[in-house]
Order: sequence, then C-alpha cells, then structure tokens
Amino acid sequence: MILIHCPYCDEKRPEIEFVNAGQAHISRPLDPSSQTDEEWEAYLFIRANPRGRHHERWRHVYGCGRFFNAVRDTVTDKFETTYKAGEPRR
Amino acid sequence: MSDVLIRNEPVPETQYVAAGVTISLAGPMQRYALRARRAEDLETVFQVTMPRKIGASEGGIACLGPDEWYLRTEAGATIPTASGLPVAITDISDRSICLVLEGPRAAEILMSGCPIDLDNFAIGRATRTIYETVEVIIIREAEDRFHVELWRSFAAWFWIAMTTAARH
Ligand SMILES: [Zn+2]
Repeated sequence: MILIHCPYCDEKRPEIEFVNAGQAHISRPLDPSSQTDEEWEAYLFIRANPRGRHHERWRHVYGCGRFFNAVRDTVTDKFETTYKAGEPRR
Repeated sequence: MSDVLIRNEPVPETQYVAAGVTISLAGPMQRYALRARRAEDLETVFQVTMPRKIGASEGGIACLGPDEWYLRTEAGATIPTASGLPVAITDISDRSICLVLEGPRAAEILMSGCPIDLDNFAIGRATRTIYETVEVIIIREAEDRFHVELWRSFAAWFWIAMTTAARH
C-alpha cells in the first residue's frame, strides 16, 4: 500500500483515501470569451503525459476532503513531494 | 394518521457480543457539520475552543479538515444559530448512525477493512476515513472503545461486516 503525505493533515495516509484529479497547475482563463478555439481546446483537452516527473492534483477525499498538488514519478509511482493548493509549482 | 413516530433503526438495537468485542448502536444524538474559514468565528458562536489540528477532537467537536468540524451533542440539545458570522452550521443528525465497538479486539475488527493503523491512533483522535468502500468517521473514545459514524444507508451492510469480522 502506498502512503501519501497529505499537506493539510500533515501525515502519511493510505492511498485508498485519495483520488487523483488530473494534471496540476491548469488555470481556467479569466475571460473565456476572449479565447480562440485553439486556446480553449488547449485549456480543456490538451494535457502533458510525461514519462517521469509529473505534477498532479490529488484529493484527500476520505480524509480532510482537500485538493492539493503532488509531484509523482509516472515510472516508479513514487511521490516526490506534495504541497497545498495555491502554492507555487515545485 | 399516526400519533406516534416510530424510529426504525437500520441495525439491531441489541448489542452484539463476541470474544473480545461488543458492537452496539449508539442512541440518537444531534450532529452538525460546521464550516468556517476562521475557527474564531465558530468559537464566537459556540463559546468553546475549537480544536485546530485536523484529527483532534475536544468537547464533542472533531476537526475533520482545515475548515470543517463535526459536532455531536445529546439528542434534543439546541445550538446557537443566526450569528451573522460567515459560518455554515448544518443539522445532519439523522444522516448518520453511530456504532460503538468496545473491547480489546475493537481496533483489530475495524482494521479488517480500514487502512488506518488504529494501534497507533491516540485516544481522542477523530478522522474521516474509509472502510472497504464506505466513508466513516472513526473516533477513539478510549483505549478499548471506538465510535464509528457512518451514513445510515450503509449501516445494515456495515453491521454485517463488523459482526462477521468479530466472529472470526
Ligand atoms: Zn488530508
């Protein structure tokens, strides 16, 4: 069982308490109507799929309920770090 | 028309007794979900000290998340409302039931489907977690006594899971 450090609970908790919520650090354009179709498509659908270091959102759904960000290696499945939502990319 | 409201419990009201553990349904109580950005606002409303650390509980109030608390009080109790402060107080009394597991095997039986290490879960701690696929709130009331709060629609299944684990 993988243990994931929740930055809000500040402890390692079992993976089964969490859900993955996709790529991190994607912000919704402030003025959607100013976007071209290509820009809007990129915002909605285009995602990175790196081999290795990946920034992801996770949610401690069966715990404190909070979304946070994580850096996970997609090859080893090891979590490098986790940090609170709103903090700068690591 | 019925003159008397009958309370239908989803699990047996008689205690289940097995070697090293008893499992019983706690009586009715009031439950509230409390939300606030600032714990101080809830302290003003309730005139108590709110536990600040996630997982801590104090005076019937458990801190479940950075802006979320779970308050349990005796049935029939009234609580302050209409404070004018930016807090949300939601009565969820009948959403959940509480099972009480008591005895030296209580932690072991909960761990049959819960991934938390309850042997290292301090008395007074409270947390939302999961048992198999069911969301539960586990509160360690004493060395040998746990309260498990869960949604009543899952209770019949959870009762079977607990009593089956207790029989083994
Ligand atoms: Zn958490």
